[in-house]
Amino acid sequence: MKRSNIWILIPGLNEEKYISTVLKKVKKHTNNIIVISDGSTDATARIAKKYTDHVLSHSINLGKGAALNTGCQYAFNNLGAEAVIFMDSDDQHDPAEIDDFIDKLEQGASVVFGVRSFNEHMPLFRIIMNRLASVTIYALFGSYIPDIPSGFKALSKHAYSKIQWEAPDYAVEIEIAAKVAKYNIKYEVVPIKTIYHDFDRGVTILDTIHMIARILSWRISL
Amino acid sequence: MSIFQIVSVLFALFLMYVVSIHRRKAKLTTTEVSFWYSMWAFFIVIALFPGLLLGITQQLHFARVFDLLVVAALMVLTILVVINYFTQKENQKNLEKFVRKQAIDEQNT
Repeated sequence: MKRSNIWILIPGLNEEKYISTVLKKVKKHTNNIIVISDGSTDATARIAKKYTDHVLSHSINLGKGAALNTGCQYAFNNLGAEAVIFMDSDDQHDPAEIDDFIDKLEQGASVVFGVRSFNEHMPLFRIIMNRLASVTIYALFGSYIPDIPSGFKALSKHAYSKIQWEAPDYAVEIEIAAKVAKYNIKYEVVPIKTIYHDFDRGVTILDTIHMIARILSWRISL
Repeated sequence: MSIFQIVSVLFALFLMYVVSIHRRKAKLTTTEVSFWYSMWAFFIVIALFPGLLLGITQQLHFARVFDLLVVAALMVLTILVVINYFTQKENQKNLEKFVRKQAIDEQNT
């Protein structure tokens, strides 16, 4: 797998506060960047266009899963990508770790999960929900995948074609994990840093309950 | 005539009016208009003459006509909820596909 065929996908909704910082950092490691502005009403897309020619703009907000799907389809069908790496647009991920993902992909991994260390920086509630998601997937699909809600992960084209998630929202993270476990797709994990800026953002307890209900439905349907 | 019957008839007449509004705005086909008018007309008849259903009520071993109507109403509601669920899901998928295509096409041009 050529490094030039690996693209970074950064979905975002109204991230004008962080997108510039994120893209500056990512550009130090690769120029293969696709930003998906998921119905942003602020300057996210305009700012992103200063750093990359590949900015996809959803006219309305569809959700993270749908935005990632748009990015994947564009990368694999239009740019000839062989793999993609997902990153959050709110500067929660350290782009210096992109190379770790690329190394794993080059070694033949189809899916690479970025796994945060559970330390004092991660709120207790999130640790509990995080573990609960992994345990639920293990109980239902027989594979323990740590830190499922982490948005820093990589997929090869082959893995994407097998997973083909349907979740348009945050449940995409757990659907990917469930399908990786279900289809026995070869995966690797890489340790990543835990960076939190805004504790009131991201996955809420309602999202978590919703996700667990979805896992049960996938267990029945997959 | 009991208060309950009067309220039921007024309710059905109101919904017939709603159907006629949608007919005037051409939001419903002739078949749909006929179906809903017939449905509410039937509802009025049953509300005024519940005894008409006594035979079916006994046949199905319901204690009262009211019980039969409650069960029938719940079945209708369930059907409508299921139909709405699938329609909404289909619409969501179509919307997602449309927005995605639009975003990729704009980027390619």
